[in-house]
Amino acid sequence: MTNDTKHIVLKTEQLSIGYTTKKKETVVASKINIELHKGELIGLVGANGIGKSTLLRTLTNVQNPLSGHVFINTINITDFQPEDLAKALSLVLTEQVASKNLSVFELVALGRQPYTNWVGNLTEHDINSINTSLQQTNIEDLKHKKCFELSDGQLQKVMIARALAQDTDLIILDEPTTHLDMYHKAYILKLLQRLAKETNKTILFSSHEIDLAIQLCDKMIVMTKDNVISDSPCHLISKGVFKTLFPKDLIDFDENSGSFRVKK
Amino acid sequence: MACKEETKPILHKEENIVKYDFKYAKGFSISEHLNYKVLTIKDPWPKADKAYTYALIQRDKLAENHLNPETFDGIITIPIQNIVVTSTTHIPALELLGVEQTLVGFPGSDYVSSEKTRSRIDNGDIRELGKNEGINTEVLLELKPDVVVGFGIDNSNKTFETIKKSGIPVIYNGDWVEGSPLAKAEWIKFFGVLYDKTKEADSIFKQIESDYLEAKQLASKIENRPTVLSGAMHKDVWYLPNGTSPEAQILNDANVNYLWSNTTGSGSLALSFESVFEKAKDADLWFSPSYYSSFEALEKANVHYKKFSAFENKSVFTFANTTGKTGGVLYYELGTTRPDLVLKDIIKICHPELLKNYKPFFFKPLD
Amino acid sequence: MPNSKTYKISFLVLILILIICFFVNISFGSVSIPLKSIFNSLLGSADNESWQYIIQNYRLPKAFTAILVGSGLGISGLLMQTLFRNPLAGPFVLGISSGASLGVALVILGSGFFGGVFTTLLFSKWSVVIAASLGSFLVLLAVLMVSSKVRDTMAILIIGLMFGSITAAVVSVLSYFSSAEQLQQYIFWGFGSLGNLSWYELLVFFSIYVVGILLSIVSIKGLNTLLLGENYAKSLGLNIKQSRLIIIIATSLLAGTITAFAGPIAFIGLAIPHMTRQIFNTSNHKILLPAVFLFGAIVMLICDSIAQLPTSDYTLPINAITSLIGAPVVIWLLVRKRKMMF
Repeated sequence: MTNDTKHIVLKTEQLSIGYTTKKKETVVASKINIELHKGELIGLVGANGIGKSTLLRTLTNVQNPLSGHVFINTINITDFQPEDLAKALSLVLTEQVASKNLSVFELVALGRQPYTNWVGNLTEHDINSINTSLQQTNIEDLKHKKCFELSDGQLQKVMIARALAQDTDLIILDEPTTHLDMYHKAYILKLLQRLAKETNKTILFSSHEIDLAIQLCDKMIVMTKDNVISDSPCHLISKGVFKTLFPKDLIDFDENSGSFRVKK
Repeated sequence: MACKEETKPILHKEENIVKYDFKYAKGFSISEHLNYKVLTIKDPWPKADKAYTYALIQRDKLAENHLNPETFDGIITIPIQNIVVTSTTHIPALELLGVEQTLVGFPGSDYVSSEKTRSRIDNGDIRELGKNEGINTEVLLELKPDVVVGFGIDNSNKTFETIKKSGIPVIYNGDWVEGSPLAKAEWIKFFGVLYDKTKEADSIFKQIESDYLEAKQLASKIENRPTVLSGAMHKDVWYLPNGTSPEAQILNDANVNYLWSNTTGSGSLALSFESVFEKAKDADLWFSPSYYSSFEALEKANVHYKKFSAFENKSVFTFANTTGKTGGVLYYELGTTRPDLVLKDIIKICHPELLKNYKPFFFKPLD
Repeated sequence: MPNSKTYKISFLVLILILIICFFVNISFGSVSIPLKSIFNSLLGSADNESWQYIIQNYRLPKAFTAILVGSGLGISGLLMQTLFRNPLAGPFVLGISSGASLGVALVILGSGFFGGVFTTLLFSKWSVVIAASLGSFLVLLAVLMVSSKVRDTMAILIIGLMFGSITAAVVSVLSYFSSAEQLQQYIFWGFGSLGNLSWYELLVFFSIYVVGILLSIVSIKGLNTLLLGENYAKSLGLNIKQSRLIIIIATSLLAGTITAFAGPIAFIGLAIPHMTRQIFNTSNHKILLPAVFLFGAIVMLICDSIAQLPTSDYTLPINAITSLIGAPVVIWLLVRKRKMMF
């Protein structure tokens, strides 16, 4: 009951995603109904090629839905002006930034672009936001380093700090833990969990780390061949959703430990 | 300066060769052997590394000659009966010798100014052979001229080599390489020997030479030497003749003060606007401002021209407006062969009190 | 981190250097004019009339032209490098100089192809300027049409390169039918020249140049955002199509006008942004834009002073100097720093 009173940040209504070419329509997934609340950490998982990227692209307005709607803060995503959308939603993508010659501070500062004036000057409020984001991601000591001097793990934190500085209700991350070692995978996801609680932002990420997601997320969105299910990890386990996620010949889901095991 | 009035034959007793040395022209020579003549082109182009020799045999002596073709660059029967030339500077010589009707082909015939030859072109008696490097080899081969008189800038002349290979002799005319106006004009003797009209060529040149020297003598008596500027700018570089060029020599012989007469070198001078302006801002006369044909054109091209006194006083003279029916500039065609007329033009313009009855031939005041 | 105080000092130093180079540039030329006379000529009270004319009507406009050309090419090069995220891009990558060359070739060489011989060699300077502007404008239109239909910015680069090839082909055909004088004219145009503008022409040039500069300033925020890449830029609220349009128009106005009035000047647009980035050690366009402006102007003034071969009667074409200096400098910078700062 308490969940309903919490503010809904992202909502989809009978969303159907896919591609249209001149000849036909390819449906990747349909009848998607999701609700994401403030302060939640949500993990989007599924097998390779199942359509996680397509779903993320549709949710971030990079791609059009085939039918249905996406609402952010009760406004239809297609009704947003680009600047207003930038104040509601920020992204962390897998691609490298075009210029690594920026300092950490400068890169994080670019997160304030939707709020700055025509030439991009930073006000005191902007600088405070930036410094707060740096603190929250524990990279204050890297403030003046150039991005090309950083490791992958450090760079990932910088990109998250930038998204934080953008001060949006919703942050969406596309596979934020690829290329990181096990420690840093856990570190980043734990960081995201802490941020969701501390800042009350809604953080949605896609990942292959189902084990970690189960342990850390408030909610998970699981994409299977047949449907898209959104629920808490506990409920998903008891419903046996993870058992049907992958072919059974190699790995199996162990409900007790909440992880996948290789079959002997 | 010791002057020889006639080309004196120098006898080389050993081989019985009579060699003709020319007073002015250095680029070619003719020697007379027992049954044939040899035409040697020493300077077909600047810094040529070899000379070209051609054996010229009179028609009635053909049978007696057993010359080895390998030792010559071509063996030619004289007088030749048809010819192809490739520069308008070759045409006046043909007309002066009265053999213009032997011209059968020319590349870029629009450039030709002479009325006589123009009417032959219009009648179709002279075939169009194409433009610049692109001489239409096929048409030329079809014409089968006795000789092709070509010119080269350096020794890469693919088209001419192709023609040579087909058996048509190609002789390079180096009149433009010569360093003085009279030397250039003396090349009429080059055509003279090809048509077996050596005596006529000699006497025509003698007349030109004496007219030239007479005018020069007349001008040298004048005290007042006006200052003279020449050339024009391309973008920010001013090109004008250097002091040893044939153009500057004529100015000198006309007894005027060409402001760069003490410069040397080959090719044009390329100077900055500033240095030309400082030296020649108040020059009395301005000759040959490149191809510009009117004051309006000069002004549109560069506003700085207006500041020269010669511009303000309208004392600018050009040959660019004296053209044939199809736009060919007469000076380029006839000026080489008739330096006497060029000299007289300059004298008449610079020293108006001389040559009272003479009207300038090439140079006209700018519009 | 270099703070605003450090930058302020650097800018002051650059402005000082610019003023010095300006004076050096007008003090040296083929004609030796003593310093005192130079000041007198500037003030209008000259001791020598031809010196006054040279300073006021030849060297001064030339120095201003150098400033406009150097800064304009530098800035348009910077814009192109950021828009295409390619350190090898320059102001002519959209095919602007090709379009201008084509226009000029049609005017200078075209009469041989279309009509008789020596018909009207009466092309005034204005017809060349107009032809060059029209040529680059038409290429710009084609590029913009492609830009509106295509989401991939890289495709625009390819179009620009294609125009370069087409122009070269057409020019070679025109050249084949041209006279020696026409070819000479065309080649001289290609050398580039700074000293050929009257005050009136300079004014027209300046008016268009100012619009280009204003548009560049307006794009600073967009350029900085593009440093993250187009997808991030979009997520930050940047209207990519509009930004792209403004950047392309700014570049065309600057590079197109410069080519129309001064001919195609090589290398400056490519080298100056790199040199500036290395020296100022930043990619922030708020700093880079004014820095490139000053630096480009300074370098152009220096190149022109060298090209004048002071105290000699001769001058060198400006393109030779910009290439001779530009290429080795960029190579040296790269070798020293070992990576292309971008």
